[in-house]
Amino acid sequence: MDNDHFMRFMASWALVHETADEGWKAAVERGSAQIEGDMAVGPEAFVDGLSAMIAEEKERLKASLASDQVEPSGSRADVAGHLDLLTFEVSELRGRLESMQASLDALLDQSDDSGK
Amino acid sequence: MSARGRHIATVAGKRFLFGLWYARFGLASASARRAAFARQTRFACEELGPAFIKLGQLASVRPDIFSAEAVFELERLQDSVPPVPIERIRRAIHGEFGQDADALFDEFEDVPVASASIAQVHRARLKAAYRPVFGAPMAAGTAIAIKVVRPGATDDIRSDIELAHRWLRWIPRFGLLARIDLEAFLGEFEVTLRSETDLRNEGRVAERFAFDVRDDELVLVPRVVWTRTTRRVLTMEFVEGWRLTELTDAERDGVDARALAIHGADVFMRQVLVLGRYHADLHPANLFVTPDSRICYLDFGIVGITLPAQRIAIAQVLAATVYGDADRAVRYSRELGLEIPTSQEAAVRDRVAALMNRTLRRPGQRADVRGFAIGFLSMLADFKIAVPVGYGLLIKALVTVEGVAQAIYPDIDITQTARPFATRLIAQEMLRPGRINAKAPEMLRAAMRVLSE
Repeated sequence: MDNDHFMRFMASWALVHETADEGWKAAVERGSAQIEGDMAVGPEAFVDGLSAMIAEEKERLKASLASDQVEPSGSRADVAGHLDLLTFEVSELRGRLESMQASLDALLDQSDDSGK
Repeated sequence: MSARGRHIATVAGKRFLFGLWYARFGLASASARRAAFARQTRFACEELGPAFIKLGQLASVRPDIFSAEAVFELERLQDSVPPVPIERIRRAIHGEFGQDADALFDEFEDVPVASASIAQVHRARLKAAYRPVFGAPMAAGTAIAIKVVRPGATDDIRSDIELAHRWLRWIPRFGLLARIDLEAFLGEFEVTLRSETDLRNEGRVAERFAFDVRDDELVLVPRVVWTRTTRRVLTMEFVEGWRLTELTDAERDGVDARALAIHGADVFMRQVLVLGRYHADLHPANLFVTPDSRICYLDFGIVGITLPAQRIAIAQVLAATVYGDADRAVRYSRELGLEIPTSQEAAVRDRVAALMNRTLRRPGQRADVRGFAIGFLSMLADFKIAVPVGYGLLIKALVTVEGVAQAIYPDIDITQTARPFATRLIAQEMLRPGRINAKAPEMLRAAMRVLSE
């Protein structure tokens, strides 16, 4: 491929990208303007609505990245999740023991009464 | 035959004759016949008392066994009975803890706040501070609800079940009765009853539910006081608010009813499609709206489970339902275990499409999910297609969510609410790396075809 062809290919690529980007922006704009129920009107309306939802998610992701809250998987966030679950399960066991203790106390009381 | 046996036989016979009359002695349409007998079955359950009310309630969450008409009629059974005298309740509490109610609780109220066939609920206050398994600590004086299993309630129910077991051995089996394994259903009822009368189970499920929705500030689950909980007594935080069955327009005005209704539906979808564990016994009487605009869940009797592999298929069926796509609904229902013979597939799809147009895609009108579910289950019965247990429970739960959301905000359209949730899940599945890898060559070929046009 000579230089001209290569440049032409890259220009085509950039043009496709630019056109797609404009199409995407227009779809997001149309989707954002939709009201409840509009998404069901047809396939185009559905794609517009979906594009708007993805754009919203993208904004959320941007905000989250900007606030340094995103951590790699297997990091502190995961550990915190496991810790939460483990703490809950240990507390669950405590609950069971407390309930069993209440029943045991009642039985001991009754056996004391019958022994007197 | 015992006096109780004679009474049951008389009521059953009378209701059967009434059913025949309303079904025009078999001349009415199949659906009208089923509806007539379902109605009489409900009346019979109400006349025959707690065992039959509980049995009817269990049947109402089993569209895999009973007709859609029966399921939706029996869900109207109200489990409310006159309270047990307070002396017997106080004796039951003493029997469980070895101490009087007044020694265990402050301001124990003798007049119950609710009375059902299995248990009744009294209000009191915590005597000492308590650190619950989940949630903020509870200070001394916190209002609590004490649920006590009614003394003797289970014995009465069990003796009715015994009687039913004996009768089943000689009752002739024909028509519907021949298809239903009533012995197995009664066995399941006994297991449910055993679980429901051990109130610790309810406490544990409530806490797990609270943990699952811990990041959701709009959902409230009462905290359990385990030091005051045993097999027959459950002590929980008392939540002030309005039962959905009692919510008036004035109270709706005081809270953000629309947002709350949408959120309630979202919570359910999250349970089914993300967490895999859902409250399958939702009922407007089991839910409260609090004055600070939160939804409070009570009574965790039946829990449904969805496996990871099922969740995407459920999301697809849900999306198909909310977008009115019959083909997708049939295709993914198969993945959930619905066995539609190939020879019937086209006919089933046509019936589903017609039903969707009639119930879900009515121009200018709110979608009727309940009408769709009844029609869908009736259609499966007409084609003699068996409904898998989990599938039936899910359809029933979705209809209940619609009822619950409409009890909070009558104008809500549940299909509109479900759309963003279902769409997000489907999009997530579509963009899964494994799927993209598998589909990439096909996508590239399609793109090349378009570009070369």
